[in-house]
Amino acid sequence: MDLSMFNIYLPIAGLHFNVLILLAIGFSVGILGGFFGVGGAWVVTPALNIFGFNMAYAIGTDLAHIFGKSIVSTRKHGKMGNVDVKMGLLSIVGSVIGVEVGARNVMWLTARGMAGPVVRYSYMILLFGLGAYMLYDYFTKDQRAAKAAARAAAEGPEPPPQKKGWRTLPPMIYFPVSGVRASLWVILFVFFLTGWLSGFLGVGGGFIRMPALIYLIGCPTAIAIGTDLFSVVFTGAYGCFTYALKGRVEIFAALIMLCGAAVGAQIGVAAVKYIHGYGIRLLFAIMIILAGASVTFKQLNYTTLAGITVMGAALGMCLVIILLMVQGVRKEKAS
Amino acid sequence: MKRLKAFYVIAVGLIFQFAPLVARASSGEGLDVPEALNHKVPLEGLAGLSLLFSKLYNENLWLFAIVCTVLMAVVGMAIALVTDVILKAMGLETEKIEHRE
Repeated sequence: MDLSMFNIYLPIAGLHFNVLILLAIGFSVGILGGFFGVGGAWVVTPALNIFGFNMAYAIGTDLAHIFGKSIVSTRKHGKMGNVDVKMGLLSIVGSVIGVEVGARNVMWLTARGMAGPVVRYSYMILLFGLGAYMLYDYFTKDQRAAKAAARAAAEGPEPPPQKKGWRTLPPMIYFPVSGVRASLWVILFVFFLTGWLSGFLGVGGGFIRMPALIYLIGCPTAIAIGTDLFSVVFTGAYGCFTYALKGRVEIFAALIMLCGAAVGAQIGVAAVKYIHGYGIRLLFAIMIILAGASVTFKQLNYTTLAGITVMGAALGMCLVIILLMVQGVRKEKAS
Repeated sequence: MKRLKAFYVIAVGLIFQFAPLVARASSGEGLDVPEALNHKVPLEGLAGLSLLFSKLYNENLWLFAIVCTVLMAVVGMAIALVTDVILKAMGLETEKIEHRE
């Protein structure tokens, strides 16, 4: 079969492109986005770039499709009760200020000719560090639970940990959807920090915000995913607009990818129902470690290998998610 | 509670006021050079939607940006609604889930 029959001309980017590739990229990143609550810029941008898009067009087109896709995923997560709107709106405040500061830091480093390596090494430390911590958290959870149970049996139930000092700085806000109570300043600081990292690393920041919501604020995993996607709607909208204004959005490619992503997102979001908190964390940890490996290859100038690693990881992870979901559906039907 | 809501509204409003500054800082100087904005799409051989969008791109980038953003939102929402209806018809209605770790 001649696949060139699916080639179309993309006038704004000025190149011929295969529709099936666009649908496949959209589909795989849709699954990852719906499942992990991330935009997926770290997968789509290098993929489009490898297949022939100029980097600026790859970023702009990616942001446009992320905006549309995050609306689809957020709606579905909202229906499942996974979106904490109150926290999502607060996250925008802290994140935007953080992005501004992070971007200024990058400009400062650029003026001294140090931005490239500093950003790439920070990326590697962050991805490998976070991935390693999440793996540690996953593999020691039973051990920790057993210790806590043994302590409870010996000394009686442990009182809930008391928050002290700056963590209780008023005003304290209760988030009924997440079931957590936190200081406004803690929330703003956490999102400022994730925003700063996102501005500093030049990414959407979903892969930083999702674990931050879990580990720093205490949200349940599914709510962290839904709330993160809610924030991505706003950052994606602004990213789409600003890149289109600079003439760097190939709207036809973005629309085709969105169609693939919409189908993928349905699968990704539905999979959250069948794979529970710690299972999602394990898959996420593996994915970001592979993304870290991809950045390492790029730093070592193995650009093609870097692209293949990130695309391979994305497709492999999609397959794992679909298989686990099918397994979950079968179990549910059997019971 | 009312004060908190007012704070959210003001904060979100301010964000959109300052958003262009953030974008300028985060996108770097390279994207603001005149060459990048002067790119024109050759219209020969184009027809239908390709011609329509390319013309818009060549003539008014502001309008092109607004159309792109609105179109992605509308298509995103349309897909979300259509898939909801299809999934409901298939008996796969989305419902609230229990949150457990």
